[in-house]
Amino acid sequence: MTVRILVVDDHPVVRHGLRTLLGGNPNWEIVDEAADGIEAVAKAANLKPDVVVLDITMPNMSGLEACRLIRKKAPASEILIVTQHDSPHMMREAMEAGARGYVVKSNASRDLLAAVEAVSQHLPFTTLNV
Amino acid sequence: MKLRILIADDHEVVRRGLCALLQAHEGWEICAEAKDGREAIEKAGQLKPDIVILDVGMPNLNGLAATRQLTQHDPQCKVIVLTITDSDQVIREALDAGARGFVLKSDAARDLVSAVEALQLNRMFFTPRVNDMVLAGFLDKGHNGSNSEPPRLPKLTAREREVIQLLAEGKSSKEVACVLNLSTKTAETHRSNIMRKLGFHSIRDLVVYAVKNNIIQVQVPTQYQNPGSAA
Repeated sequence: MTVRILVVDDHPVVRHGLRTLLGGNPNWEIVDEAADGIEAVAKAANLKPDVVVLDITMPNMSGLEACRLIRKKAPASEILIVTQHDSPHMMREAMEAGARGYVVKSNASRDLLAAVEAVSQHLPFTTLNV
Repeated sequence: MKLRILIADDHEVVRRGLCALLQAHEGWEICAEAKDGREAIEKAGQLKPDIVILDVGMPNLNGLAATRQLTQHDPQCKVIVLTITDSDQVIREALDAGARGFVLKSDAARDLVSAVEALQLNRMFFTPRVNDMVLAGFLDKGHNGSNSEPPRLPKLTAREREVIQLLAEGKSSKEVACVLNLSTKTAETHRSNIMRKLGFHSIRDLVVYAVKNNIIQVQVPTQYQNPGSAA
């Protein structure tokens, strides 16, 4: 069954990169993209994706706030945080906000596919360097 | 013949995005990728790409220092600097280092292809803010002589800038020596010269200097950032 993914990052070039990395799995479909937290919440509520790949540091509404709202508006969607913050404190905040997975951007090429695979099956996935 | 491009960014997900963006353009190919400035210089030396695209905030050797080394070695080297900020200081340093293109990461999907096209035609490509600054500097010089010159930083050599970055990233003199293929004594001499030139007495001063001057970039947790800021 196809895993439907919403990609959220404020930098289009990063969204391009995430699309390229995720495009390697024929069973996954990128249903849409969003450039900030507000757009992410609206699109998640509307599209009900299986997985939301969500950046933290974004304009208008941060990924953490968006994470909390997506949990309420699309409770079946799992959230995978993909961020530059290589920090246990930030990871704890994200998990408390309702994320199922946490990947540091510098490890994305190594961890992203395994993380999406895990969270799509409602399993946790977290890695940090520090 | 294809235009050969080298891409350097420490985040692979960004490199994937840049590759996807540029490879979609007919007649262009990515001849190499690098994850820091040092690797970019090494690969540029081996492969002689037509255009080098360098992220500013990279570990080991940042994009501005790498630009400076590339253009010193080959003044014809065409470098586009990719940055998350277009602060006056980063713009000034990028121009001073010899970059011919300046693109904000947030606008890369829109501007990078235009920037590469411009450099391919031996033109320069800058954001409107850089253009304004260059023009303002030109007009100021014309009208006011050197009165409007920004305050000059102490003159540091390219090697000293490399050492500052490595020290500010937490490396010891011995580790600096290892990375730069120097003796520990030479690395310590660079360190003491830097401290003397800048009038510093502690590594803390050096780290603050490195952050303020964009030699290293630090991650700021979301709760400490200004609303609307992006990274």
